[in-house]
Amino acid sequence: MRRLPVYLLIDTSGSMKGEPIESVKVGLETMVASLRTDPFALESVYISIITFDKDIKQVLPLTELESLQIPDIQTPESGPTHLGAALELLCQKVDVEVLLSTPERKGDWMPLLFIMTDGKPSDLQIFNQMIPEIKKRHFGSIIACAAGAKADPKPLELLTNQVYSLDTTDSATFRQFFKWVSASVSVGNRSVGASDEILLPPPPPEVHTVI
Amino acid sequence: METIKKYLEEKGLDDSQIKDFLETHSKEIKQFIDELLEKQLPKPDEDVPYSEVIKEEVQTSEITTTEENPTQIEENQKMQATDNQQQTDMPKVFDSGVQPDKEKAKNDALAFQIKNKQITFLNGKVNQPYEIDFDFETLEMPEIAEVSFEKLEDIGLLYFPEEKKIKGTPTQAGDHKIEMKFKRNDWEEGKPLLTREVVFIINPDPRVLWSKNIPTPEDIEYYKPDSDKIFVKVESKKNMVAASQRGRSHAIEGKPRDDDFALYYDEQTEWYVMVVADGAGSAKYSRKGSQIACQKALEICKAKLLDNKDVFDKNREQENRNEIGKILQGIIGSAVFEAYKAIEQEAQEKNTPTKDYATTLLLTLCKKFDYGWFVGAWWVGDGGIGIYRQDPQYMKVLGEPDGGEFAGQTRFLTMPEIIQNELYTRIRFDVVEDFTALILMTDGITDPKFETDANLNRIEKWNELWADLDGKNEDNIKVDFTDNNEQSADQLLKWLDFWSKGNHDDRTIAILF
Repeated sequence: MRRLPVYLLIDTSGSMKGEPIESVKVGLETMVASLRTDPFALESVYISIITFDKDIKQVLPLTELESLQIPDIQTPESGPTHLGAALELLCQKVDVEVLLSTPERKGDWMPLLFIMTDGKPSDLQIFNQMIPEIKKRHFGSIIACAAGAKADPKPLELLTNQVYSLDTTDSATFRQFFKWVSASVSVGNRSVGASDEILLPPPPPEVHTVI
Repeated sequence: METIKKYLEEKGLDDSQIKDFLETHSKEIKQFIDELLEKQLPKPDEDVPYSEVIKEEVQTSEITTTEENPTQIEENQKMQATDNQQQTDMPKVFDSGVQPDKEKAKNDALAFQIKNKQITFLNGKVNQPYEIDFDFETLEMPEIAEVSFEKLEDIGLLYFPEEKKIKGTPTQAGDHKIEMKFKRNDWEEGKPLLTREVVFIINPDPRVLWSKNIPTPEDIEYYKPDSDKIFVKVESKKNMVAASQRGRSHAIEGKPRDDDFALYYDEQTEWYVMVVADGAGSAKYSRKGSQIACQKALEICKAKLLDNKDVFDKNREQENRNEIGKILQGIIGSAVFEAYKAIEQEAQEKNTPTKDYATTLLLTLCKKFDYGWFVGAWWVGDGGIGIYRQDPQYMKVLGEPDGGEFAGQTRFLTMPEIIQNELYTRIRFDVVEDFTALILMTDGITDPKFETDANLNRIEKWNELWADLDGKNEDNIKVDFTDNNEQSADQLLKWLDFWSKGNHDDRTIAILF
């Protein structure tokens, strides 16, 4: 059994409070429900969710899709966006949770990483330090999403060339985004091999490619 | 009313205008006030802990108070709201002897508590028995005497309060929203039950999801059939059989089989040639890559074996083994090299990178001499080649699987460094007195049957595989390896359909027996 680890980094800073975070939760639930109907995902996908505001929490440790339930996600009233610290925790978790091949063990598929933020990292120094660390972890694909008018895609472009933007942080947009994430996860582990880049399905109109 | 009047006066309306305005807009004003009142949280009763209640709104969309008589609630709410708003000494309406505002407050506080309890249930699976412990007392709500679930039986589950269990066999996949009802310990007929929604997640049966089988459209480039098989009968000698089956992961999407194979027995020189290849899932023309690799390698072997017929005839003795080895090395080297060149040429003609045809390659050449069977092999990528003897026990793996740190990472014939640096280092030889089977297989088989690289070198695993082929499997599908059994190809193809969770790649196996 080969596992496909999927890490979701979700911005829970103050600006996400209210409709945006509620929309994200609905989006996550839709995503998981849709992945469950894909037999490939049902047998191989493991999901972890890390939230970041002024605190960093792994609200869901790497869990198999079959037994997964989306946990409650809280947002503080206000405060900074510690994306750098979130990447730091991510690296620690990946080092422990993602299994590499050994003669006695089948390794996991290369993990996938999705980052969603509606702002920009407040801890820029740590963020910059973490960029080479993230590269070292060999993610099969990193998809970053800058959601809403105040999101800055620039720092995300240092992490990956797959940066997308969402105009709004409402439920319809997030639903489309997570639907696309789930489609991307579905193809994710099928296309690893000869090419370095995973071929993802085209994003829906709500999701703009940042050039 | 006075405030509104005063406000309108300030806006510059005279008495008659104010009168008109209030008359024409009375409905809207009432509605507006009603809405305001509804948002007000009723003052909780003193005997209910409500420290957390105060600042929160009761979300009526999630928590509802059900009752036989809905108008009664409205009355109560209005009463409550009015009471809050004006703080007057209005006479209270008594309902079964309980003050309704107190009653309402108690329910609201409880409803709030219930809403904030984390109530989750283990996920179930369609058609698989489900049983979990459920003791509502662990919710630590002393005011609640009893709970129930509305229409839980519709999804195939039942709640057994005495056993404190939820049991059954889920019938339908999905995220099922079930209404959970809470009965207060002082509940009596006619009083409301508190409710909230809980979710039961039932996973579909992967076997059902995987059962979709869409034939590959025949008009695609480089079409090849979704399965293939062959039996090569060699009179009074060992036979060869091979089968290749498109994986479920391709079948479900109507995508073609990427694996391929080719077998050949040379009557004149008595050499057996077996080739198996696994096209990379990510490479768009890998189905053609594997096909070219198999056919070209076989074609070169065929020609070169004939070229060397005299040498083989002359060197039949044990002491001439090295001579045979040298020739074989040359044949294998050219077969692999020419296979690579043929793919490269195809890619150039198609004006596309060679890696679009990425494929693994497993090749064996085998012949019986007086001193035993001489086996030569070449292998790049995952999968496996092994010589297996049941009695006495013997097993040798002819090469090493190429794996990376992560799953799915392997090496391909189409990688330039393989041809440049590893063409000869990948050759393996063995001489054995006899064997039960010489087996070549793609990772569609080695992954489920051997699991790890280390297991590929364990004879117990080869014993298991051989027993499995002999019918020791959940479907009782047996491949009959008796001499000249033409049916063995069909049997082998059927066997390839075995079930293994998470292993749905193309499967190809070639056996000399």
